[in-house]
Amino acid sequence: MNAERRAQFLVVGSILAAVALVGIYLAAGGSSYTPAKTQDPCKHRPWRNPEGLQQIAEQFTLSALDGAACQLGVSRETLARALATPESRERFTDRYEISDAKLARAVRAGLLRAVDDAEEAGALSPLLAAPLRETLRNIPLDQAIELINNAESLLDDVQGFLGPVEGLLEQLLP
Amino acid sequence: MGAEAPRPRVAALALAVGLVLADSSIVVLALPEIYRELDTSVAGVSWVLVSFNLVLALAAVPAAHLARRVGPGRSAAVGLAVFAGAGLACGIADQLSTLIAARCVQALGGALAVTAVLELLPATVGSERRAAALWATAGATGAALGPAIGGLLTELVSWQSIFLIQVPIALAAAVPILAVARHEAATGVLSTELRPTGRPHLLANLALALVSAAIAGALFLLVLLLIEGWRLTPIGAAIVVSVMPLAALLGSRLDGLVPSARARAAAGAILVSGGLGGLALLPKAEVALTLPPQVMIGIGLALVLSALTETALSGRAPQAIHGGWTISARHAGVVIGILAVTPIFTNDIAEQRSEAIDAGTAVILDSRVPPLLKLDLAQKIESRLDEEKGKVPTIGPAFEPLPDDPAERDEVVQLRDELQDQLNRGATHAFSPSFGLAALIGLLSLIPIALARRVEL
Repeated sequence: MNAERRAQFLVVGSILAAVALVGIYLAAGGSSYTPAKTQDPCKHRPWRNPEGLQQIAEQFTLSALDGAACQLGVSRETLARALATPESRERFTDRYEISDAKLARAVRAGLLRAVDDAEEAGALSPLLAAPLRETLRNIPLDQAIELINNAESLLDDVQGFLGPVEGLLEQLLP
Repeated sequence: MGAEAPRPRVAALALAVGLVLADSSIVVLALPEIYRELDTSVAGVSWVLVSFNLVLALAAVPAAHLARRVGPGRSAAVGLAVFAGAGLACGIADQLSTLIAARCVQALGGALAVTAVLELLPATVGSERRAAALWATAGATGAALGPAIGGLLTELVSWQSIFLIQVPIALAAAVPILAVARHEAATGVLSTELRPTGRPHLLANLALALVSAAIAGALFLLVLLLIEGWRLTPIGAAIVVSVMPLAALLGSRLDGLVPSARARAAAGAILVSGGLGGLALLPKAEVALTLPPQVMIGIGLALVLSALTETALSGRAPQAIHGGWTISARHAGVVIGILAVTPIFTNDIAEQRSEAIDAGTAVILDSRVPPLLKLDLAQKIESRLDEEKGKVPTIGPAFEPLPDDPAERDEVVQLRDELQDQLNRGATHAFSPSFGLAALIGLLSLIPIALARRVEL
């Protein structure tokens, strides 16, 4: 092979190698190796047939987080982590410049959306939903934040979350 | 003088070039450690690398002229002494600003030493051609070995040791050169005659700058991806990135097979860009997947750098000045490459980190583990994020201790792996646009390479 052919071979070989590498990595999913997209919290998320008080409470909390996150313009996941501890909540409100009052209003709106979702999923009777809405509408703002902020006790004891309507809720469970 | 030249002097000259040019890349693997220890930002720490290369790029040609005027022996000896002193200052620096200032002084000393050596070599080894070959080999060897040596020192000793170890090496290299300096001082005769300087080869130097920008971006980004994104240790990353210089050795063997510098330059630029394209499209966070692109980049850089340097020096005199221009072009390219990619990936990594953590949290929220455990995990993840202060976190500790119940334990382990997968995806994807940009810069170098055939400057 003369020098000119070797030069051509080198250039063409380089082009083929480069195209092959890029093509193989693309075919192996190189362009889609990205973090999964989280769902828009403003879009309705169907409940997954909750069974038992604990699962209803869990779905209720997730719906409440969705509703509050939608109001605040953040993801449900960001809000869930933000409400994990008082320090994380403070970092969150500082970062997004959200006042406590705005956060409380958003949480209350989230709780109301959770009642709507529970009712729509058939997990909550309309008879129970109406007084629960009233309770949540009138709930003091600090207590509304507390409902999600203290989700551990909320999920440990649904009575702490649903308050005076627990007895009625249990009667309506499948 | 060539007949009198002792071997120690040739070795000292080669050592000086290798040492200085290794310094342009030796800190790459130490950057994450410096970043953590000096509590700075990615953009801030990049200046430890940028400042050295910027000053070297700016000072190389004036330093070459200075060496020809005051005497290359004196210039090399002073340059190495300044380089050693500044290296000591780098090693004891406890603030980023001090470190960057010392790096600038180190580059000034380095520019003096390297260009003076270029001036000394022809007389020492007997011919300009042999001198150019030795200089290019010493520089390429230093630059190629730099990251691996830096990674080993960082892991085994500390990042400061990278600079401190250079002090005795620089002084040892200066000792045999002192004889030349004394000869110059005693006789007032310079070792080379002053000749008019021709114009630099603009297209070859432009292509060198572009391809150097792409290669610098590749090395800088790959190291950060391995250490900051995938959490490898510096020594682990050093082993991984050693593939590139090893492949470069392979690529250098092709030089003799293909005499056409233009074909080697074009092929090299295509391989560098193709390898960078592969790194931009990594289909998984696996070290093994970085190897084929690294091999391609290594072979490519050996081909393109030697071909373009050869073109830039061919038929031009004095070689020291034109060698100075190639140093300027290459190191200006390094600066451009790092400055171009840093803001893009620092912005992307913050965004991707946030998206990855959200995606991982979604996996936990939607999982079937008990609600109380979910809340506990959310709290621990938040704590880990707080501890890591904006960096890509190691998420494993957030899941410790694992539950005793075997079924629950399996679910938690699965959640941990899914969250880690999301973080790996985020960390890898954050680097993609920057690797893509570096690939594009590498492809741009094909323009001056193509034009160089038609327009001879």
